[in-house]
Amino acid sequence: MTDPLVIFDLLLALAIVALAIAALSVRDLYAMIVLFVIFGLLSALAWVRLSAPDVALAEAAIGTGVTGALLLKTLHHLRFASGQRSACMTPAIPVPTGVMLANAAFCGLITLGLAVAFLGAPAAGPGFDALVAGAMPASGVDHPVTGVLLNFRAYDTLMEVVVLLAAVVAVWQIERGLSDAPSPEMGEVWQGFARLALPAIVVVGTYLLWVGAEAPGGAFQGGAVLAAVGLLLLLTRAYVPQPHHRGIARGAFVLGTGVFALVALLVAGGGRVAFEYPLDHAKTLILLIEGMVTISIAVTLAALFHGREPVALRKEVRHDT
Amino acid sequence: MTPDLDPMILAIFLPLFGAIAAFMLPRAAALIGLVTLAMTTGAVFWLAQRVLASGAVIVPLGGWGAPLGIDLRADGLSVAMLLLTSAVGFLVSVAALDSLKGADQARQRQYFWPLWLLLLTGMNGVYLSTDIFNLYVMIEVIALAAVGLTVLSGTKAALRAGLEYMYASILGALLFLMGVGFVYMQAGRLDFAGLIAAEPSAAMSAALALMIVGLLLKTALFPLHFWLPAAHANATAPASALLSGLVVKAALYIFLRLTTYMPLPDEILITLIGALGAGAVLWGGLQALRAERLKLLVAWSTVVQIGLIFIAFARAGQVGLAESWKAAALLILAHGVAKAAMFLAAGRIKDEIGHDRIRDLDRAPVRPTLAQFTFALAAISLIGLPPSLGFIGKWSLMEGAMAAGYWHWVAITMIGTFMSVAYFSRVLSAFLRFDRVRAPVGEHQGWALADAAPLTLALTAIGLGLMAAPILRFIEIGYPFGAAL
Repeated sequence: MTDPLVIFDLLLALAIVALAIAALSVRDLYAMIVLFVIFGLLSALAWVRLSAPDVALAEAAIGTGVTGALLLKTLHHLRFASGQRSACMTPAIPVPTGVMLANAAFCGLITLGLAVAFLGAPAAGPGFDALVAGAMPASGVDHPVTGVLLNFRAYDTLMEVVVLLAAVVAVWQIERGLSDAPSPEMGEVWQGFARLALPAIVVVGTYLLWVGAEAPGGAFQGGAVLAAVGLLLLLTRAYVPQPHHRGIARGAFVLGTGVFALVALLVAGGGRVAFEYPLDHAKTLILLIEGMVTISIAVTLAALFHGREPVALRKEVRHDT
Repeated sequence: MTPDLDPMILAIFLPLFGAIAAFMLPRAAALIGLVTLAMTTGAVFWLAQRVLASGAVIVPLGGWGAPLGIDLRADGLSVAMLLLTSAVGFLVSVAALDSLKGADQARQRQYFWPLWLLLLTGMNGVYLSTDIFNLYVMIEVIALAAVGLTVLSGTKAALRAGLEYMYASILGALLFLMGVGFVYMQAGRLDFAGLIAAEPSAAMSAALALMIVGLLLKTALFPLHFWLPAAHANATAPASALLSGLVVKAALYIFLRLTTYMPLPDEILITLIGALGAGAVLWGGLQALRAERLKLLVAWSTVVQIGLIFIAFARAGQVGLAESWKAAALLILAHGVAKAAMFLAAGRIKDEIGHDRIRDLDRAPVRPTLAQFTFALAAISLIGLPPSLGFIGKWSLMEGAMAAGYWHWVAITMIGTFMSVAYFSRVLSAFLRFDRVRAPVGEHQGWALADAAPLTLALTAIGLGLMAAPILRFIEIGYPFGAAL
């Protein structure tokens, strides 16, 4: 007896591969981004089928939502910079067919090797499941993924937040005070949509954060959803970043990292090492960390979408050096 | 409640808090940066003292202990890398005070410090890590901060090189992550002890292959070096010194660790790595001979030195990797100190003369003698003349190779050495010949306090050669990992 879901899984896998090929082969950049977004959504679905709802949420919110928005924004900027209505991907020097075939054969061999290695590996490795399950009562939360991310391997998570901080510092640093592409014309439907969607997004994002303690969700997913608020505000020009907002923005960027690192350090002492939360306060501390990290992630992702440090524009017209 | 301070925690958290402070208070960024560097160096010395006294030390973060949690561990090699990073980093920071003082460099001044301190957080994290997923996160921290530093100068060339660097870096990290996935699938754990315990299998070989290719891409071993010369040559001088002297070493260090815990399955692979190193030495040497810019020449010399380190790794010793890693480690340390000195000196020469075209260096009416002297000293260590640390590294490479009867590898090392003499002579002879300048040469122009830091580094590179024996004893503390547990 075959599970009907097996057919669904097969179709899903085929669709993901087909979308990946389509996204890579299509010439029109806009179509490429759309295909990529659909690819991301189906990947999120695949994560659900792999019983990894946390990853699915992150994939949908960050990998698809925020990344798609970033790509579209970049495309808009590219079109403005090159003065073309439709930007197409035309490589300056076309790759010779021979080279392409050789590359394809080489990559195919590697993929084959990896596939063989994958199939030869134990079907269900030991994994952390038993260890995690055993340590959950001492973690202060009920959802294993949150336990791993915010307690057992909290150090990794702290450093992931640091990665995001490094990204936004690097992006701000590139700012050269040149004029921006004018924002696209938005119709009235858009304004109405923003009014309806904003409260809902805030609720969903906060819920994702809160529920993370006992069910799939958490800081990264909640932060990404909340970042959509920032995106909408930026797109509708309801909020225009000003140079004098930089201090607050910097504070919001470092908030998550700072609080996380401070908590990790301050719990040490009295026989405890860094990151060792006292059990009575573990849940409170984890929620505090997650809350602050969510704020940082939301603001950072929105700032990455804005893509530049808000500085006073230079007087002279664009000159690229 | 006073928190228990541990030097390992400090080595990671001090730069992190420093980065936050420097980012929040841009006006005080330089002061915060220098104080942080000084304190981090202090913490690392404290750690070194502990390791000297009691061998390898471990902190189980969160109190869980591996494999559930993540352990920090310091042994001789990791402390040597930490010392290299923080001490060289401190001197580069001092030099950065001067080289970023221009009126048009306000943004560079503001952003250099947070990026550099984040970079330091990531590198210190790598050297203390015992967990491959944690290593992946750390190399991501390093990658983003390093790309930020690459494009700091804001020129179009730097931006383009930085983008290329970022693509290479992200691809390398993704390959590494895929390898981590294979390890988890097979072993069910991610800590080093798990790697040692894992049975050899197809999955482990795939994991090792993926991780090694990813790391080779990040450390720019020929032919995966394509991103390095432009990225390192176009960055601003202190950033170049950090990128070339320190950042590529993080991936090299991970490579050394991984190959200790996951033995390479085949002798042919080791030969292949040595052959790639030989390719780097020859190709990089040729490119350095052809380079028209001083900084580009120095960047190509990094490609050569990376190749040399891999030759040492593959072929310095009869008993294989258990012995040859020491020659590789010595060369890593020697290159870190000397290359930082050389990039800073090249930056100083460029600042004083106003350009870095090698063929016009001898026409300049200004003679930044101290910077030129520093460059020459650094070149001595990179070429491998006694008594520099570079000499000791190269000597232990050749001694090991000779003892094992690998004469062709000795020959390649010698060819590489002659080539490095040739390409550095192109620069050094331009320092000496002033007959093409009709106007009086300003012999003592271009001396500045800014020369102090690179000169100290270059002298250290020479002087450390005299301390090779204690250094060797030190890096062996706690080796290999399994013995300490």
